[in-house]
Amino acid sequence: MSRLATLWKREVASYFVSPVAYILATMFLVVMGVGFWFISNVRLMSGASVYDLLRALFGGVGWFAILMVTPVLSMRSFAEEKRSGTLETLLTAPVRDGEVVAAKFLGVFTVYGLMWLPTLAYFPILSRLSDSPVPLDPGAIASAYLGVFLIGGFFLAVGVFCSSLTHNLIVASISTFAVVALMFLGGFLPAVSPIPAVREFTQPFSPVLHMLEFARGVIDSRAVVFYLSSTFLVLMITVRVLESRRWRA
Amino acid sequence: MIDVTHLTKKYAGGVTAVRDVSFHVDRGEVVGFLGPNGAGKSTTMRILSGYISPTGGEVRVNGLDVTRKGVEVRKHLGYLPESCPLYLDMRVGEYLRYRANLKGVPRRHRKTRVERVMTQCGLTEVRGRRVGNLSKGFRQRVGIADALVHNPDLLILDEPTIGLDPNQILQIRNLIRELAEDHTILISSHILSEIEATCDRVVVIHRGRIIESSPLDLLGERWFAGAEVTVEARVPAEELELRLRELPGLSTIRTGEDGSWTRAELLFTDFEDRREEVFRLVRKHGWDLRELSLKRHSLEEAFVNMTRDGATAFREAPEEEVSA
Repeated sequence: MSRLATLWKREVASYFVSPVAYILATMFLVVMGVGFWFISNVRLMSGASVYDLLRALFGGVGWFAILMVTPVLSMRSFAEEKRSGTLETLLTAPVRDGEVVAAKFLGVFTVYGLMWLPTLAYFPILSRLSDSPVPLDPGAIASAYLGVFLIGGFFLAVGVFCSSLTHNLIVASISTFAVVALMFLGGFLPAVSPIPAVREFTQPFSPVLHMLEFARGVIDSRAVVFYLSSTFLVLMITVRVLESRRWRA
Repeated sequence: MIDVTHLTKKYAGGVTAVRDVSFHVDRGEVVGFLGPNGAGKSTTMRILSGYISPTGGEVRVNGLDVTRKGVEVRKHLGYLPESCPLYLDMRVGEYLRYRANLKGVPRRHRKTRVERVMTQCGLTEVRGRRVGNLSKGFRQRVGIADALVHNPDLLILDEPTIGLDPNQILQIRNLIRELAEDHTILISSHILSEIEATCDRVVVIHRGRIIESSPLDLLGERWFAGAEVTVEARVPAEELELRLRELPGLSTIRTGEDGSWTRAELLFTDFEDRREEVFRLVRKHGWDLRELSLKRHSLEEAFVNMTRDGATAFREAPEEEVSA
């Protein structure tokens, strides 16, 4: 097995021995479940289409879940190793700093993906509840999940980055939350700003609008490139932060 | 095996932990890296392991620069960090398998390697226990097993026996001696008996500088003025001192009386054993004798002398202070 795969496996396994992941997954599923129940009842009764439902689920309650989950899930990645000193054991094995960062990110991303997995059960339920003549489009669902993973992946990368700056888990999660919440709220600027220039400038960077588009089944390549490249950039900076220990120590 | 030349490490905030340090470790040697707390031992070892980079100078392991060829160097180097940090949630066997994997032990050898190091370090009975539930001694052994698992040529052990009870210290020492047969080892410690028990050679670091680097048996001669003989005879102090003054090579003499007995501590300018001459003198005068001994200076005292402030000044004029 390659070093990356070994590190990744350890990273994923480490989430399952701590209670944090279980508590978080439970909270996540409760929030999503209640949201789903509420939306499906209220909306379907008022005669909305399943597409409105998808948008409400991913563009609404899904956000709450993403903002709650990503900071807590990613806080451990480096901060915990720094706190316990195991970072030294880890980095004095014959591994590259880049491999460690990549494995940390892929590990937390895997756990994030596993958390979303049970929500797939909503769609068979939805199609049975709905009396809409239009069947549920698997493409639209896939697109919505693509949005969840692109935006979530970027937020997790921000979390891994914040975690590499500190040895305190609380500091790591709060600073991550501050950054991602700011980006989320900034995403409303295209809709609420009174200045036209601001509206125009912020529109291509709004995660809120991106998510609505993804949930509608529209995959905008600009958004995909934006999230992939931002994630990559943040992870590259994290590698630099990790390397800086050599000089600052 | 290890070539350190003009190594300097300055930390942010202006602290210079290591300044212009050079030393050399040959293949197969067991070298003790000795110094008081805060002398720069751990910093030097962290640089050797590639965890941090030097500010100046060059560090080569196996001819490879540790900063530029870090991954290559670490493939052949086993490192035990100072406080032996481990993943507490993993089980011993699981942890060692993970580390073997990470260090690139080929799949077909992995099981035998893990079994071998567990046997070597006495971990077979705790293989299924969580590292977090183990005692400090066992954790330390897990750390050493981890350092060994990829069968490196070079072992760097930072304070391997710190915080252990005497039995555990003895076990670790035996293990190190066993490993010394086919490994090059660099051990740091601030405990001298530790180094004395396991190493061929000692490098002493103090305040970020190397102040001594020599085989253990030469250390005493370089740091002490000479041999010390204690004699206790039934004779008045003045007379004993007067007669002993006749001995050649005597530098200082201290006497003390205990009833009719007089005890004298003689310090010579060289390392010759003078007990015979002292005895002949005592016999010539027909005094009763109840003690005659040669004092062997421990490394402990050498260390205190070396790391005392103004140690170099002491080397030039040692007479007064040695018997203190």
